[in-house]
Amino acid sequence: MPSIDNLNEIQQMIAVIFGVLVLASVLFWTMGKFNNGPQVQELKTRTKSWWVMAAIFTTAAVVHPAVSFFAFGFLSFAALRELSSISKNTRPEDRSVIFWAYLAVPVQYYIAYMGWFAPFLIFIPVFMFTWIPFVLVLKGHTQDIARSMSVIPTHLMLTVFSISHLAYLLSLPELPQFNAGGRGLLLFVVFLTEMNDVFQFTWGKLLGRHKIIEKVSPNKTWEGFIGGLLSTIATAFFLRFLTPFNEFQVLGAGLLIACSGFVGDIIVSAVKRDFGLKDTGTAIKGHGGILDRIDSLAISSPFFFYYTYLLCYS
Amino acid sequence: MHRIVLFVVYRMLMGPLLRILLGIKWKGAYRELKQQKQFIIVANHNSHIDTMALMSSLSFWQLKYTHPVAAATYFGKKKWLGWLTRFFVNTILIKRSHEGTGPKALDVLQKYISKGHSLIIFPEGSRGEPEKLQAFHKGIGVLLEQNPQIPFVPVWITGTGKILPKGALLTVPFEASLTFGVAQFTKAKEVQDIVEEVKNAILNLNATFIP
Repeated sequence: MPSIDNLNEIQQMIAVIFGVLVLASVLFWTMGKFNNGPQVQELKTRTKSWWVMAAIFTTAAVVHPAVSFFAFGFLSFAALRELSSISKNTRPEDRSVIFWAYLAVPVQYYIAYMGWFAPFLIFIPVFMFTWIPFVLVLKGHTQDIARSMSVIPTHLMLTVFSISHLAYLLSLPELPQFNAGGRGLLLFVVFLTEMNDVFQFTWGKLLGRHKIIEKVSPNKTWEGFIGGLLSTIATAFFLRFLTPFNEFQVLGAGLLIACSGFVGDIIVSAVKRDFGLKDTGTAIKGHGGILDRIDSLAISSPFFFYYTYLLCYS
Repeated sequence: MHRIVLFVVYRMLMGPLLRILLGIKWKGAYRELKQQKQFIIVANHNSHIDTMALMSSLSFWQLKYTHPVAAATYFGKKKWLGWLTRFFVNTILIKRSHEGTGPKALDVLQKYISKGHSLIIFPEGSRGEPEKLQAFHKGIGVLLEQNPQIPFVPVWITGTGKILPKGALLTVPFEASLTFGVAQFTKAKEVQDIVEEVKNAILNLNATFIP
């Protein structure tokens, strides 16, 4: 568990985060005075949710690790609930099986809190991937059962297994010569993933010409992606005091976060498009709230976790 | 005492539970409802959660004088169940029209209205198949025709039939929402037209998206 004397790096990082947030809020507020179009509105709502996220992350990082586990667990639960609610791929009689999926959330986070590495790895991919089909079979309705068997565990992977890696960062053992610890790594990956979204968006707005996959995500351009990638790698380099990496490893981490964040973003975009939530204009506001916030994190956090684990902890 | 119990149950326990754990969202004019003195809430019905959520939308002062209307055959079957629903849900139990003698259901409700109380009515009569609107009974039309001075508050509820459908015991979290319309007086004069008006007011809330 991290101790008090490593607060320095963490405090620096928290100062950076809130500095960026104040800057962003002032910038978008000023932009809104001149041109209050839907894009500026979108930026404003995004900034608002970042404030909330930053507040939760920092309180959790400073107060007690258990608070973080609880907060991430709730985030996973809310995301899973949202995905289960908008999904077209489960049947009405799957209610009780979805209940089992919800029960996996506290178990996975308890395992993460206790730092049991092997159970943490296998609980969802091995155990729940068997348990969910098993209880589905016990209910006895075989019509479309294969679809439910694959969809419900996949929901767990996307919302619970993935995000729980952020929490597990806090359970990693202490390394000599590395003061920031799991909290530093946590702030590093979350901050960079969110910043990568912003960088991609900004570069795309400034230079974007060539679309990557227009049918899924019309705003994603090669210019935005590459600009975001380079900016994220540069930011990662300056934030390496939060990690145990050397100069080269931290560049690799930046590259990995930028790419995996992008993948997460377009996967969730495609899923939402399938559920008809992308084309319905204002109706998106009520739906897709939490998934929209964690889309890039859902993929970048496990990738970053195993990158760090394999390089420094194994 | 009863007022405090209802406040603790709905505003302090049930409300937060429904919001945080079950993911129910309140939309539309739900804040304006708290300013109303006497009203009839009219909503579509999918689940017992509907009653819980509507009760959680009321203010400390409204709770004690607002009664969900329920069927006596369902909740009055056992004495203790009837007592519990009367005390904790503040229900008025009425007999369905085909169920023999006793005071007429509408007379019972009229007595409460005359005393200045408010009602929560599900004109579909029962929860039915989840997420499907059934035909409206005409009782709401009769009540509003007799009491044109009392506004009705239309509420469109969606998603609760997945959380707790008819016949289920297991409550499973899913996103659901209650969309409140503004309190309004009936414009129609005939019972059947009033029923149509109320029904359209509820359906319109579904059509117009209110964040």
